Amino acid sequence: MRSTFLTTLYTQRSVRAMYTSLKSTPRVLLFLLLVVLVTACEETVVLKLDNNAPRVVIEGQVTNHASYQYVKVSKSASFYTSGKTPRITDATVTIADDQGNTINFVHNPRNHADSVGYYLPQPSFIGVVGRTYTLTVVAEGQTYTAQDKLNPITTIEKLEYRIDEDEEADPEDPGRFYEVLMYVKEPKETRDYYLFKTFRNDSLTLDSDTDIYYADDELVGENIDGFPLPVFFSMNDKARAEVFSLSREAYIFYRDLDKLLNNDGGMFDQPAAEPRTNLSNGALGLFQASAVTSSEIRVGE
Amino acid sequence: MTQTPYYTMIRFLIVTTMLVLANFIARSQDKVTLNGYVKDADNGEELIGVTVYIPELKAGTATNAYGFYSITVPKGTYEIQYSFIGYTIQSATVELKSDVTRNIELAGEAQIINEVEISEKPLDDNVVAVQMSKNTLNISQVKKLPTLFGEVDIIKNVQMLPGVISAGEGTSAFFVRGGGGDQNLILIDEAPIYDASHLGGMVSVFNADVIKESELYKGGIPSRFGGRLSSILEVRTIDGNNKRFGVTAGIGSMASRVMIEAPIKKEKSSFVLSGRTSNLGMYLKAANTDNSINFYDLNGKVNWRANNKNRFFLSAYTGRDKISFSGGDIGFGWGNSTGTFRWNHLFNERLFSNTTLIASNFDYSFEIKDPVQGFKWTSSLQEVSLKNDLTYFINVDNELTFGYHLSGRRFSPATIDPNSDESIFTRTVFDKMYALDHGLYISNQRRISDALTVDLGVRLSIFQNMGPGKVYLYEDPKDNADPTRTDSLQYKSWESIKNYINFEPRLGVRYALTETQSLKFSYNRMVQNTHLIAAGTVPLPFNTWSPSGYYLKPQLADQVALGYFQNLKNNMYEASAEIYYKNSQHVTDFADNAEIQLNKNLTTEYRQGRAWAYGAEFMVNKKEGRLTGMVSYTWSKAQRKIDGVNGGRTYAANYDRRNVVNINAAYELNDKWTFGGSFTYSTGRPTTVPSGKYEYGTYHPDVVTERNGYRLPAFHRLDLSATLNPRKNLNRKWKGQWVFSIYNVYSRKNAFTIYTRTKQDSDGNVIGDGTEKEARMVYLFPFMPSVTYNIKF
Repeated sequence: MRSTFLTTLYTQRSVRAMYTSLKSTPRVLLFLLLVVLVTACEETVVLKLDNNAPRVVIEGQVTNHASYQYVKVSKSASFYTSGKTPRITDATVTIADDQGNTINFVHNPRNHADSVGYYLPQPSFIGVVGRTYTLTVVAEGQTYTAQDKLNPITTIEKLEYRIDEDEEADPEDPGRFYEVLMYVKEPKETRDYYLFKTFRNDSLTLDSDTDIYYADDELVGENIDGFPLPVFFSMNDKARAEVFSLSREAYIFYRDLDKLLNNDGGMFDQPAAEPRTNLSNGALGLFQASAVTSSEIRVGE
Repeated sequence: MTQTPYYTMIRFLIVTTMLVLANFIARSQDKVTLNGYVKDADNGEELIGVTVYIPELKAGTATNAYGFYSITVPKGTYEIQYSFIGYTIQSATVELKSDVTRNIELAGEAQIINEVEISEKPLDDNVVAVQMSKNTLNISQVKKLPTLFGEVDIIKNVQMLPGVISAGEGTSAFFVRGGGGDQNLILIDEAPIYDASHLGGMVSVFNADVIKESELYKGGIPSRFGGRLSSILEVRTIDGNNKRFGVTAGIGSMASRVMIEAPIKKEKSSFVLSGRTSNLGMYLKAANTDNSINFYDLNGKVNWRANNKNRFFLSAYTGRDKISFSGGDIGFGWGNSTGTFRWNHLFNERLFSNTTLIASNFDYSFEIKDPVQGFKWTSSLQEVSLKNDLTYFINVDNELTFGYHLSGRRFSPATIDPNSDESIFTRTVFDKMYALDHGLYISNQRRISDALTVDLGVRLSIFQNMGPGKVYLYEDPKDNADPTRTDSLQYKSWESIKNYINFEPRLGVRYALTETQSLKFSYNRMVQNTHLIAAGTVPLPFNTWSPSGYYLKPQLADQVALGYFQNLKNNMYEASAEIYYKNSQHVTDFADNAEIQLNKNLTTEYRQGRAWAYGAEFMVNKKEGRLTGMVSYTWSKAQRKIDGVNGGRTYAANYDRRNVVNINAAYELNDKWTFGGSFTYSTGRPTTVPSGKYEYGTYHPDVVTERNGYRLPAFHRLDLSATLNPRKNLNRKWKGQWVFSIYNVYSRKNAFTIYTRTKQDSDGNVIGDGTEKEARMVYLFPFMPSVTYNIKF
């Protein structure tokens, strides 16, 4: 099993922290060991860091779902800064498919204060399964390109909810002890990669802010029955699961990003490294083409 | 490699052997041999490294690992001196007209009744021996020094030797002269230990009760050793008291121990049985958690002296860690088991042979008990070895050692078993790998003049990675991002997948400047065909060993070392200064962003490249008197350059530390109190820190540029201990002993690691809008007192 698959698997709260980082199982286990044994202590330290030149960061997404298409262009910031990182608002952004269609992306067309740095397609469009998309961003005199293929996805058969007894006995948040299980068929004849997103009452929810839920299909059987979503829900909460198909390159990016976000500083983990990306010219980030499937359930209904 | 050089080399070896053998036969008839065993008078344990010296000839030898010595000299009457640290020198006048066997018993210094007059004090090994870059850990000295959690730990002491670097506290990994943590061969009674740690390194697997001696070879490695690039840590266990029944037991903060030893047939045969188990379960129960942590070690040994020519030893070790969380829902564990059978045989007065049969097993497992998502993942490595080591003591100036080692290994990287029918996992077995390793060596030590001794040796390593097995071919074998397999090659049982033949020359030279000063030079080439590629700084039991093979080349290291050795004040002080340079090829690391756990295409994650290290080590060791101890300073540098790691740029090795100072001392105030102290200082280890941050989705990843581009703060710590042997001991049959230890006396917060996260308050709530990040330093042991009570009768 690519242990990464396990990063998406959850059952009991108590084991959750481990699953999250099973890719670095040893670290987590030893860390737990240290905590249990000697109460490893921590404190904040200030690193003396050099100021490096900012890098261009691109986050682009094309899907087969309406209104999910965007490209965000920003820059990296010094480690010790607060607030949003600098946005690039005057870039030229286009996405072309392999059928000869090109769509222009326009910076923040609705002039949303929250959407500075976001480029949206004008006119809007929906990605098509099987097509390969090419992103071109010209920012600050440099051209960055990336290609990604929009792979198909199966549909989620259903979601179910049930009480998690351990969580009910000792909930982290009062009343929030329902787990939601997903049932889905994984086609075994193709090599597939997935990204999972969970929404609680329409807002994207992570168990921890560095969790990424992604998987490949190695070592799993065809029937994924009762695959629990990573967070708990309360009565009457709306739970939505979204599964995105990923290309191999995008999957690798998320895997690398996960390693970077959850790195222990190189004691047991491999030293952190920059995630591999499909973007050219040294840009950070990813251009991702995905098919999306989603399913919703209201706990108690 | 083609076959021709291989056969040329074999022929070379045979010719050399013949020449040397011819040399024995031509031995002058008026020479005679004195040989025998040297034992401890109190418990009958054979003593290793006892100097046997003939002042008249200014020549001598030392007892080998089995307490045996043999010295061939012209006929005559000689004064023979037997001396060993901590023991009274024994001197005897022996008339040597024909071959003589003399077994000697040396008495401990405390039991001196009649001081023997010594005409001239024998020279000390430090100055005399050709061997350099070797440290001997005297277990009785180690027991006087402070401990962590009250556990006397040989590895923690190894980490304090000059030229050795540790990854930090609470780890059992050590790094010798710029070498990786997997480049140390750790042997217990000649059987390899693949992971020497308990509890992830807080304690090592070596129970101090059963250790007789341990030696660390860092350079000038004798040709009888092979298989690892950087060092050999040889741990030998006691044989068991062959004079009387004895029990030793102890209880400490961390573990409890008991050992029994007794003669089976007095002076002929004895056994020792020892066990150690952690006390942690107790604390956890008290803390009312549903986690459980345990480890144990069992050592057993039987020896039988059939006659003066044949001795047999059977020893076994098994140790295991078992850890579970959430009442057993998650469990993991690892352990080593070894068994060794040895036969010491004297073909004649001068030819000593030791034949060893070894079996060793290392495994680890990880289990999640859940009907749907549960599985058990196990991984193991088995080894069976046969070794035959011979020493021919030709004469006092000429000694020949040669031998043959054969090892077969089976590597089972992973088996994943779903633990119920409903599990979403399917049973998966990663391909097993098999390897056969032959080592053939010969080495000749000659005293060319009073001043000059040369030891020239060579080891031939023939390695076969063989079937049954499958080698996958990849579209791009360097594609470590979920690579595409194009084809596979199938190999039958015993069919060679890949052979590697390497010559390992070894050279040692000693030149005496005066009787108390000498210069030494050594060169060695080492080859390593069994690789453990650790992801981080510290190798873990969960890292997987791999043999050289279709993709993985053998690691090679060449080391030269030069040293100056001097003894002062009638051998009371030993001083040394050494410099070394080591160049290694095909050292192995993981590619950037490697997927390390449970990856069946692990070969595509390996990268091999160059490593080089150099440094200087200075040491003063005081071995006798009320005050004993060691002061050492090491300056060193270790770098690596590997394609695909750090973008192919040179980087500091994870264990690169520029300055290291170690001081330890024990002071025997009186027969009641002994005090110990140790201080260590080292430059912080290099680590990778962010050079910035950016946004992607809801995440705030770091921008990372340079691997190991930042230094953790310097590491330093003072530990103290006091040992109390109550006076009432004198009048009673059993003896009690209290050992009080304080680890990290001034509670230095030594960085274990630094990681980054979103800025949070102490309760884990994000501060501000979640865009700010912070660096967190993890440190382990603050001021840490411990008490151990030992009892012996």
